[in-house]
Amino acid sequence: MIKPNMGISIAPPASTSLADALFPKVRQRVLAVLFGAPDRSFYANEVIALAQSGSGAVQRELASLSEAGLLTVTRQGNQKHYQANASAPVFAELRGLMLKTVGLADPLRSSLAPLAGQIDLAFVYGSVARQQDTAQSDVDLMVVSASLGYGELFGALESATVALGRKVNPTLYAPAEWDKRIAQDSAFITRVLQQPKIWLIGHEEQLHAPSA
Amino acid sequence: MHPALKNLCGPGKSLKLEAPDANELAGLLRTGTARLHDARNTTLALESRFDLAYNAAHALCLAALRRMGYRAANRYIVFQVLPHTLGLGPEVWRVLDKCHNTRNLGEYEGLLDVDERLVNDLIEATAAVAKAVQP
Repeated sequence: MIKPNMGISIAPPASTSLADALFPKVRQRVLAVLFGAPDRSFYANEVIALAQSGSGAVQRELASLSEAGLLTVTRQGNQKHYQANASAPVFAELRGLMLKTVGLADPLRSSLAPLAGQIDLAFVYGSVARQQDTAQSDVDLMVVSASLGYGELFGALESATVALGRKVNPTLYAPAEWDKRIAQDSAFITRVLQQPKIWLIGHEEQLHAPSA
Repeated sequence: MHPALKNLCGPGKSLKLEAPDANELAGLLRTGTARLHDARNTTLALESRFDLAYNAAHALCLAALRRMGYRAANRYIVFQVLPHTLGLGPEVWRVLDKCHNTRNLGEYEGLLDVDERLVNDLIEATAAVAKAVQP
């Protein structure tokens, strides 16, 4: 193909994430804040600070999302409070989308990235994955790794804890210990296996195959 | 006075002001070090080693807090203030905090779920506290 030498050359992004393909950056961040904690409301300056974006851009997103009925707006004094609208027809889908991308999985995945080579499986389970969480709920994280220790894991997860504003509560098993617990039908593991999960590393099929 | 610790201080809060006491401090450091040493004894049951290491961590973390002139109103706070008392990060204090929750499940609900990994990591975190708290 002949590529004419004209215009502005735009380097393609290194990798397009799901969220980047679906929403512009500021909208992603605004949705992540509001649909990441749908049981609470935020005033505009809070959203601007949490989304780490320009105030004009955030205000525009808040206005159009409210107009579309995705957010509810309540007035408290001279502050406008915005909250994810739980009765919007796409509330559950949007909330699920945010949890699987910028609202939860992406910050966790990027904090685990330096350790990814050592991790066989990592997924979120518990109230957050079931979408029954409150703003105070911990994020329950299961990690299967032959070599990682809790110290290293907690050190890496600190950035996600700060970004999400929630405590991340990991449980770490060596592959042998994990297989043993599945084989023994341990009550805790059985419950975890039956529940909805948000996958960070690995996939559902690996759960039932013995780890290599 | 440390600003973050000062904020945790007061009626109904997690910390109280109380002047340090040399005998108390020496006692906490002595029992903490002895229990940490015994927690490494692999002839003991894993549950016992967990108890020894957890209690060693509690004694040593409390020593750090008492030395700065505070007393704790509950157990978990001594782990959570480690960044302020000994400058230790999440790789230490979050491990101890997790073990505190594991210990509570065991003590109060009969569900002490410990494995080799957790006990080894607890001992490692406690050793980091022991090293940081030595005068």
